[in-house]
Amino acid sequence: MPAMLLAQEKILGTEAQREAGKKIYDQKCAQCHGEQGDANSVATPFFRPQPRNFTSGIFKFRTTASGELPTHEDLKRSIKNGMPYTGMPPWPEFSDRQLSDLAFYIKSFYPDFGEYGDVQPLALPKPPAYSDASAERGRAIYEENKCLDCHGNLGRGDGKSAPTLKDQWNQPIRAADLSKRWTFRGGPTRADIFRTFTTGLDGSPMPSYNIQPPEDQWALVDYVYSLGQSDQPNYATMAAAKGISEPIDLSRGKALFDNAEAALFPLAGQVIEPGREFYPGVNAIEARAVYNADEIAIMLTWHTMTADTLGHNSPLLPAPPFDPQAPLAQGGEEFSDAVAVLLPSKTPEGVEKPYFMFGDSKNAMDIWFADLAKDSAEFFIGRGSKSIEPAGNGGLSLVSHYEEGEWSVIFKRSRVREGGLSFEEGAFVPVAFTIWDGFNRERGNKRGLTSWYYLYLEPMHKESPLAPMTKSGLLTLVVLLGIVAFARIKYSGKA
Amino acid sequence: MNYLVLTPIVVVMIALRFTRLNILGWLAVWWIATYLAISYGINPPLPSSIVGMFMGIVTLALLAYLTVRTDDMNFVKRAAIRFLTDKKYTLPLAVTVIALPLLAAFNVYLSAAKAPQPPAAGRTIHPPPPTEITFKGKKIDLVNGVNPYRELQARDPEAFRAHLANGRKVYFQNCAFCHGDNMEGKGIFAHAFDPIPANFQDPTTIAMLQETYLFWRIARGAPGLPEESTPWASAMPAWENFLSEEEIWDVILFMYEYTGHKPREKEEVH
Ligand code: HEC
Ligand code: HEC
Ligand code: HEC
Repeated sequence: MPAMLLAQEKILGTEAQREAGKKIYDQKCAQCHGEQGDANSVATPFFRPQPRNFTSGIFKFRTTASGELPTHEDLKRSIKNGMPYTGMPPWPEFSDRQLSDLAFYIKSFYPDFGEYGDVQPLALPKPPAYSDASAERGRAIYEENKCLDCHGNLGRGDGKSAPTLKDQWNQPIRAADLSKRWTFRGGPTRADIFRTFTTGLDGSPMPSYNIQPPEDQWALVDYVYSLGQSDQPNYATMAAAKGISEPIDLSRGKALFDNAEAALFPLAGQVIEPGREFYPGVNAIEARAVYNADEIAIMLTWHTMTADTLGHNSPLLPAPPFDPQAPLAQGGEEFSDAVAVLLPSKTPEGVEKPYFMFGDSKNAMDIWFADLAKDSAEFFIGRGSKSIEPAGNGGLSLVSHYEEGEWSVIFKRSRVREGGLSFEEGAFVPVAFTIWDGFNRERGNKRGLTSWYYLYLEPMHKESPLAPMTKSGLLTLVVLLGIVAFARIKYSGKA
Repeated sequence: MNYLVLTPIVVVMIALRFTRLNILGWLAVWWIATYLAISYGINPPLPSSIVGMFMGIVTLALLAYLTVRTDDMNFVKRAAIRFLTDKKYTLPLAVTVIALPLLAAFNVYLSAAKAPQPPAAGRTIHPPPPTEITFKGKKIDLVNGVNPYRELQARDPEAFRAHLANGRKVYFQNCAFCHGDNMEGKGIFAHAFDPIPANFQDPTTIAMLQETYLFWRIARGAPGLPEESTPWASAMPAWENFLSEEEIWDVILFMYEYTGHKPREKEEVH
């Protein structure tokens, strides 16, 4: 065979390999990426970013220079690892050969792979050790290269040009929240971050950078890395409220919660009832709580691109059953950002709770609601999404504050409510949360929500375990001595 | 299963077969091996209350084994009496009598120091279905009913394929966000729900259910579940709000086609 054909085969695979790839593709990938690889599929309207159109020849994850095609290994890695927090799932079950066959088949949708597919990966160095000093130095490089225009001062995705960003396919896209490394499409490690800004994410507004000297590159990596706490999200199952003795003075704001532990909960789009939201603007909410003898305060914080404080919002607003025309953008004028704490209206006996959406006819739900265009809280009683009743302000006080891409909203209420839900020391109270992102035109049942979690009021005084310890120790001792005495009396000298 | 733990245990148990250990040693090895296997050999780990219950049963079983042979029984009894009365053993006996109460106290300390756990709600995953439901005014028999399009598979393969294609569309526009594009329950929103979305590849879900059972679960979703299945917590939507009867039967066809599972046949009554 001529050498040229052989070289082609290395890049494009053999007829048989592409055919094997097609078999898997048609079953497992075409629903999203389209039979013809053009993302013309049944699922495309439901995912943002959209499933990739392979006929465009544009790939985010590459070890090659910006504008070049990916290597064969790059494609295999994208398929195997997927792209977290997008519709692109990881496919760990495929063998190396299956991944390779799929990559060959995907290349066949873009003819240029034949001519330009023989790409050389960039030399990506091994990461030196992380150091705080280097991270500190990296801050200046972050500023110099204007990363903050898109990613924001503290990397929360709230830069001034962030709301205008669109991808290659004219779809609105958000600059990554650098404090949540687990959402990075190309992976959370320092080597991944290095590669991301060295090669850029083609097809998205994320540019490629040639930063010199090389130490500066790692300083920037370390700065970005220092913005997040961990590679994996530490999602919680309960938030512990700390008991304090002083009065709860909302004017102290965040400082009130300095000693309370933060609990991070994941949010999903509301895809359960009409008003469905397939691409919620916010993917997690953090809760902290404190209480004293009379009152309880819950602080909710989350990152969002813009503070939408124009317009209005309410759980009562009608939302279109599904509105693919208005994804991730346009908003900010008509609907404001809003948040709600959802609780059972009565302290549940046993495990039975209201339906986690907005309650049900048998078990009502208390909805502590804050439209962030206003400065007071509202209170609703939910008996299902279609029967939510306003009920004054429920004795709630509210303060809210937006800074550096983060909302913090504090609700306060007295712990006891006649005939309703009370917060008792040492008790677990079911709690769920909802966020409406105004920019995303979320309102009514179009929202991001969590399942049921728990709020736990840590007892102010922990009982010392000394008494029960002594009791169980002594009891064991008596039993043992009894056995020895019995054996000695009955069998001494006989065995 | 955690084979890294289970393999050495099995090796030790096989080796035990060829050693001449007395009955006490033999019981001890068995007890420890089962403890290690169920505490560390199973993924995800069992709750400690279940481990405790299981070890209670194992202890009883081993004691029962011991009492079967009088020789063994007497041997153990003599050994115990010697330990309790013989001067030779005074020191180890004293150590035991002091150490065990300390251990008991320490155990109490540990359980007090543990962070309190939210109340766990057990839930019945597959509750018995109603015998029939009314779907948009039409009665659907859940006991003797069948998927009306299943028979096309043999009679009219072309029409059957059209139903499958429709089912695939329904699945990817409605179900993939939770149950995952590969039907393993790992959709883009799955991590935010508890209970987690069902994994249809798993042999204990649709592979052991009748198509009519799926029809009920899909049409009525979480709100249609009985109390013991904690309907207030599951995110499974009631699809009668969105889908037609045909669409539901079609997505059921597609779920079996994609996973390669066969629906359970309806029970023959003789
Ligand atoms: C549920 C829908 C879905 C399925 C099924 C799916 N993908 Fe994707 N895929 C996506 C989405 C969405 C993206 C775009 C992610 C982004 O741009 O951040 C994507 C992107 C990709 C990319 C581009 C990666 C890059 O570096 O830019 C490749 C390659 C890919 N998919 C291959 C596959 C293969 C092969 C399969 C089948 C084994 C598959 N996908 C199945 C939704 C899907
Ligand atoms: C023009 C706007 C813009 C600028 C400037 C910009 N980024 Fe980005 N960046 C984005 C967008 C948009 C994304 C999200 C891409 C996606 O979701 O596919 C992103 C994603 C990222 C990610 C996550 C990568 C991943 O795997 O998902 C990192 C890390 C990052 N940027 C770092 C930087 C750094 C460091 C700089 C400055 C050197 C920078 N960005 C400058 C727009 C920008
Ligand atoms: C919002 C998330 C969500 C969506 C969307 C969703 N489900 Fe579910 N589904 C669940 C959860 C959670 C469970 C497990 C709890 C339960 O049994 O209710 C479940 C359970 C099921 C079961 C019961 C399986 C068993 O073993 O008993 C079936 C069948 C099912 N889903 C089918 C579907 C179909 C078909 C669709 C699309 C038309 C769909 N689901 C969409 C969340 C979802």
